[in-house]
Amino acid sequence: MNGRMGKDNFSSIINSPSDYARASREIEENDSLNKINIAFLSSYTSEVLNPYIVVELAKNGYKGSLYYAPFNQFEQEIYNPDSELYLFEPSVIIIHSRIEDTHQNLMMRFAKYSDDELIEISEDIINRHQKMLDGIRSKSDAKIIVINFGNSQLTEEYFISSPVIQSQQTYIQKLNNSLLELSKNITSCYVIDYQQLFAHIGLNNSIDPKLFYMARIPFNSSSQITFGKIIARMIYVIFRVPAKCIVLDLDNTLWGGVVGEDGISGIQLSDEYPGNIFKAFQRAILGLRDQGVILSIASKNNINDVLEVFEKHTDCLLKKSDFSSMQIHWENKASSIEKISKELNIGLDSIVFFDDNPAERDWVRAQLPDVKVVEVPKNPINYLKALHESKFFDSLIMTNEDRVRADIYQQEQQRKSDLFNSVSVDDFLRELKMKIKIGFSDDITITRIEQLLNKTNQFNLTTKRYSSSDIIKIISDGGKVLWLSSADRYGDNGIVGVAILIEIKHKIWIIDSMLLSCRVIGRKIETAFLAEIVEILKSESAYELYGQYLPTKKNHIVSDFYKKHSFKLTDKKNNFWKLNLNESDIIKPIFIQVSRND
Amino acid sequence: MIDDFKLKEVISNVLGIPTVEINNDSSPDSIEKWDSLSHLKLVMAIESEFNVELSPEDSMDMLSVKLIRIILQDALKK
Repeated sequence: MNGRMGKDNFSSIINSPSDYARASREIEENDSLNKINIAFLSSYTSEVLNPYIVVELAKNGYKGSLYYAPFNQFEQEIYNPDSELYLFEPSVIIIHSRIEDTHQNLMMRFAKYSDDELIEISEDIINRHQKMLDGIRSKSDAKIIVINFGNSQLTEEYFISSPVIQSQQTYIQKLNNSLLELSKNITSCYVIDYQQLFAHIGLNNSIDPKLFYMARIPFNSSSQITFGKIIARMIYVIFRVPAKCIVLDLDNTLWGGVVGEDGISGIQLSDEYPGNIFKAFQRAILGLRDQGVILSIASKNNINDVLEVFEKHTDCLLKKSDFSSMQIHWENKASSIEKISKELNIGLDSIVFFDDNPAERDWVRAQLPDVKVVEVPKNPINYLKALHESKFFDSLIMTNEDRVRADIYQQEQQRKSDLFNSVSVDDFLRELKMKIKIGFSDDITITRIEQLLNKTNQFNLTTKRYSSSDIIKIISDGGKVLWLSSADRYGDNGIVGVAILIEIKHKIWIIDSMLLSCRVIGRKIETAFLAEIVEILKSESAYELYGQYLPTKKNHIVSDFYKKHSFKLTDKKNNFWKLNLNESDIIKPIFIQVSRND
Repeated sequence: MIDDFKLKEVISNVLGIPTVEINNDSSPDSIEKWDSLSHLKLVMAIESEFNVELSPEDSMDMLSVKLIRIILQDALKK
């Protein structure tokens, strides 16, 4: 292999330390990957993880460049603004302080401590982490990954219930709970559950005493590989935009057999083998829906056969109402997926396709390269594993909006069918009984604001991507970060809009960013939002408001937004628009009820 | 017998030097990249590639390609 390795060239054939070492060196020569700087602060020799992190990141298109601080140099690196850590300008900082290294007696002589001493130690450990994380946050915008605390290695005595050892496990569990809580209050801070990871690998199978005593390496080479994979997966998930929708095939995917041939009683879907495999898969799909993933179908079938299964098959957990879009006909699946994308108003790149038929997968891959296609294994028993390993639905932040998103899309289907029945669009909008609320970014709303800024592509005037630390910076520099939530007769949409206003000169403001989630496009909410923005600025006696439109592949829908709202073009090249606040007003649509979150 | 080609490849992969530069007498003294951490990486890679477990003493003593071959040969017999 020469230097030309795209992300698809790294396959599972790399599996031994020697292969990883070679591959990681080849990646260093590769310039086609996105470079990412990662700093690793640890209480042991973490550098041995390097080839595994680098190779696993490359599989996802990243070229990881790592800085390993000398072991146990946490405070020295974190509190010194001129330390190697900050000179390295990391995008990710990993913190791994093992209790085994900092509190050896806590792991090996747990029984010697009184309850009071134990409380004191746990407070020390948590306070130290709090200070370290705060310290990093005050000096860097890097994403922080904290590794939690692992259990001590158990001997068989434990399983016949030694109360002392059990309380040690509980103690570590509590420490991890506290660590998780504190990480939630630090922006862009994520926890890797090392405790569960090593329970999953098996502590007894993950240690090589020789490596530990000779070189402070607390795991053997096979668990180094696993840990490296998890770290890389976390980094990948932090930076990518998660998929929104899964498009499922039916025959031999959601049930065994072909309903059109085998009939409703002939398909495999039950509590017995092999029907239980498909039933479990359906349950997992419902689990995705609970997480906010939108479900849809692309199947070559007779719709009546399918509806019969959904309505009458007692073991069919998925119901017609769980799907936001159903393309059941004999047209090709690429066009089905395009229709789903249009109908749900989501980009092709946020769609995942799951189909047991390799020909269909290849067709979709060729026709719609943006769609993410799961490489479905032949044996249905491995479907779930393939879905998890695809990483498409790994999610780090689960907001309330995510939880209800699938419901919202379903309501949207209802709204759309109403739209066709009602007399005029204005009538329809009036009937919607829309209410919007506008407020300023705070601790509770910032996560959702960050999420919208980073994944909204269509109704987005400038498509500027900001992290929550950027947002905090904007506010502390005097900018205004507004959110908009909306509700209507069909339900609550949650926060669906964001605007960022910046004062560029005394009493002259610019709309740095303004966006609306695609599920509320076409309802004149944007006009109400703009009117509210104007009102807020006027109350501070601003007299000019600028706006900019930065065209992308996807935001054509807003190209005439400023023109429509009587802004005047002032700079054609850069697409700047101006509104004189003393002369003009934005008229609020009367059918939207507006309130402020005070 | 130990697969000499495989051994050289492992050393080349871990230390990042071409196989042609590796001979029987290669050691931490003659190869700059062969430092103490690389040495342990080499031990781990050899253990995994030849499916063998090496004692701490064996690991420490493997300080040239010739010694690696002798020690590995012994370990494989056990």
